[in-house]
Amino acid sequence: MTQTLTHEWARFTPVQRMKRYVALLAVTLIVVWALGSIDVIWEWVWDAPIQLVDLFARMVPPDPTNLPSILEATWQTINIATIATMIAVVLSLPVAYISAQNTTPNVVCLWIGRFILVSSRSVNTIIWALLFVAIFGPGIIAGIIAIMFRSIGFLGKLLGEAIEEIDHAPVEALEACGASRFKVVIYGIVPQVMPAFFAISILRWDINLRESTVLGLVGAGGIGIILQGAIDTFQWQEVSMVLLTILTLVIAGEVISSALRKKLL
Amino acid sequence: MLEIKNLVKSYGKGTPVLKDLNLSVQGEQLMSIIGSSGAGKSTLLRCVNRLVEPTSGSITLNGTDFTTLGAKELRKARRRIGMVFQSFNLVDRLSVMENVQSGRLGYISTWAAVTRRYPSEDIERAFELMERVGIAQYADKRADELSGGERQRVGVVRALMQRPEILLADEPTASLDPKTSEQIMSLLRDLARELNLPVIINIHNVTEAKEYSDRIVGMRYGRIIFDDKPAALAAAQMDEIYAGTPSEDRQEMGAIA
Amino acid sequence: MTAQTVWRKPPFIKSPAVRWVVYIAVAVYVIGTIATLPIDWERTAEGLTRAQRIFSGAFPPSFERSGLLISGFMESLKIAILATTLGMILSVPLAFMAARNISPKPVYLFGRGTFILARSFHPVIVAIIFVKAVGFGPLAGALTLTVYSIGFVAKLLAERIEEIDFGQVEAMRSVGASFFSTMIYAILPQIMPRLVGLGIYQLDSNLRASAVVGIVGAGGIGATLANAFGRYDYDFALAITMVIVGAILISEAVSGMIRKRMT
Repeated sequence: MTQTLTHEWARFTPVQRMKRYVALLAVTLIVVWALGSIDVIWEWVWDAPIQLVDLFARMVPPDPTNLPSILEATWQTINIATIATMIAVVLSLPVAYISAQNTTPNVVCLWIGRFILVSSRSVNTIIWALLFVAIFGPGIIAGIIAIMFRSIGFLGKLLGEAIEEIDHAPVEALEACGASRFKVVIYGIVPQVMPAFFAISILRWDINLRESTVLGLVGAGGIGIILQGAIDTFQWQEVSMVLLTILTLVIAGEVISSALRKKLL
Repeated sequence: MLEIKNLVKSYGKGTPVLKDLNLSVQGEQLMSIIGSSGAGKSTLLRCVNRLVEPTSGSITLNGTDFTTLGAKELRKARRRIGMVFQSFNLVDRLSVMENVQSGRLGYISTWAAVTRRYPSEDIERAFELMERVGIAQYADKRADELSGGERQRVGVVRALMQRPEILLADEPTASLDPKTSEQIMSLLRDLARELNLPVIINIHNVTEAKEYSDRIVGMRYGRIIFDDKPAALAAAQMDEIYAGTPSEDRQEMGAIA
Repeated sequence: MTAQTVWRKPPFIKSPAVRWVVYIAVAVYVIGTIATLPIDWERTAEGLTRAQRIFSGAFPPSFERSGLLISGFMESLKIAILATTLGMILSVPLAFMAARNISPKPVYLFGRGTFILARSFHPVIVAIIFVKAVGFGPLAGALTLTVYSIGFVAKLLAERIEEIDFGQVEAMRSVGASFFSTMIYAILPQIMPRLVGLGIYQLDSNLRASAVVGIVGAGGIGATLANAFGRYDYDFALAITMVIVGAILISEAVSGMIRKRMT
């Protein structure tokens, strides 16, 4: 006599299925809400592709007449990024030191360090730039300081994490020799975080290069000023020339930074 | 001479790890501390230079009571104790010379330390010691490019650069293969004699302990229950020290066994 | 044998010629640029007094026009949600196109080129273009951040696809499965966790960026902020900034928690 066994198989248990449906429903509802309540004129949405094509048509071919001043502004942009990154790297060292749980002298310092990092990171470079343009007036000083302020948070956080991840063994050995705190840092901690330090600094320089290109749009110097001017006067062919320059700059920056990283690590 | 009196170490409210220890180490000798894991060997060693803070008791090295020192004096006093670690504890990315010179960090100025301009006597002594242990040719190599045995020798030179009054070694051969382990043990024994230095070694390989030591101390549950010449360590005493530890776990095999 | 008494640490750059060239080049650059930077030092010195005026004007932060604040913030949130959704939908096919182990070379180059282009321009610049094309408002913002999302998500997803265990694909091919089935069974399960993680991260990222694109007219709270600065309403500006920072912190914490739950 044969006994037939019926097997059922489903990929998810009923409970799991419920959870998945609920999650999917929630996400869909959120998206629909956003879509529905957003203040968008839908005729414009359908018009958008045509408008974009029209805009691109007007930007071709790029107009090189103003190239000298474009290049000079590009050079300024590079300088803003580089100088600001250099200063920020130096300033982020003590902040990283006090924000790392294994090197901070006391709890107060830890919280001060964290506060500095969080406020620096949460405010976008452009918003910093707005503030500093209001304080120092339009010009590159506002741009440099804005980039500095934002970079300290980025660098400090990653560097602090690198410091927290070091091997404690050499530090123990140096303490056992009777070395002072400062010497323990120089011999035990600094060599271990060196690779991370360079990688993080080069990465931030690359990002800052991108950020510097738009500082001029709020008046903080660099090529953004020329871009804003060209857009305001509807000179689309000059706009595309500037965009091409920015594209070249960013790609060159990426090439340089990955070459540097390979060299140093 | 190292004098440990009534040393107690407890973590929180549990059973103390070290219970009322008394130990005295005089003059040139190589003393091995044996015992099963958790007996308190490592804690004892680290209490001497206060890498672990003793709960009570006194530890006196040539007249200085380490337990009562403030932070700054402690640093100065630590210069007199050399320590060799199981995992070598070198700064991997720095060169052998820098690692060796880091033993002098308690003596040289901050400027010299940062710029690596070490005093010429220190450099001369470093080369002497490195020749003695056989690593002089690696002076400029990065520490992590060396083998385990070579790295431990760097650790030994670093400790000796301090011109210490006593040398502590916390399971210095545990991470090494048997042959290299023998080399390091005989190096420590020879150095103890040449430099007239008391050496205290934590070790779990009893055969090596018996072969190289002038004196063996056995610990169990935070107490010293054996303190005598190696010849006096027979099976009965071993059973007491390692009671409960199956004979397979008692490391009695070595390259010469 | 004479005892060696001198030791110097081997320098990082071995050849002295190269080393000195590098040092001199860096020194020249730094001194040269700082000297020639067009900085208006007088105006900068005035800056400190201005800063003091601004900060005293900014405290305490003013939440009077909180209606404006909230609607601006809500708009930023919606922009972020829509941009993330659309960006993720578009990133998946693009990532497949840009994966070396799946796509033929021309398709691969097209895919790579697309998101390299998407990443090279700062979202603010992209926002300006879109504003000129489709007018002011959140539509431009959503489109901008969609491009921003694609640039990030498609790149990382493509890298993940290139790292998959190809054996699973082989197995599917050996049973004769169609290309589509192979994708669903062999590739998708491997990239799903990464995809979801990227989505959550990008939502957080877009929320931050949406605060900024408003400055150039692409909708959201950025516009409110720029206005406040323009009208010297520093107390309102501080209120807005606090809300932005608070939202970013919350979103970062939430996204961190979700991603930790998932791994």
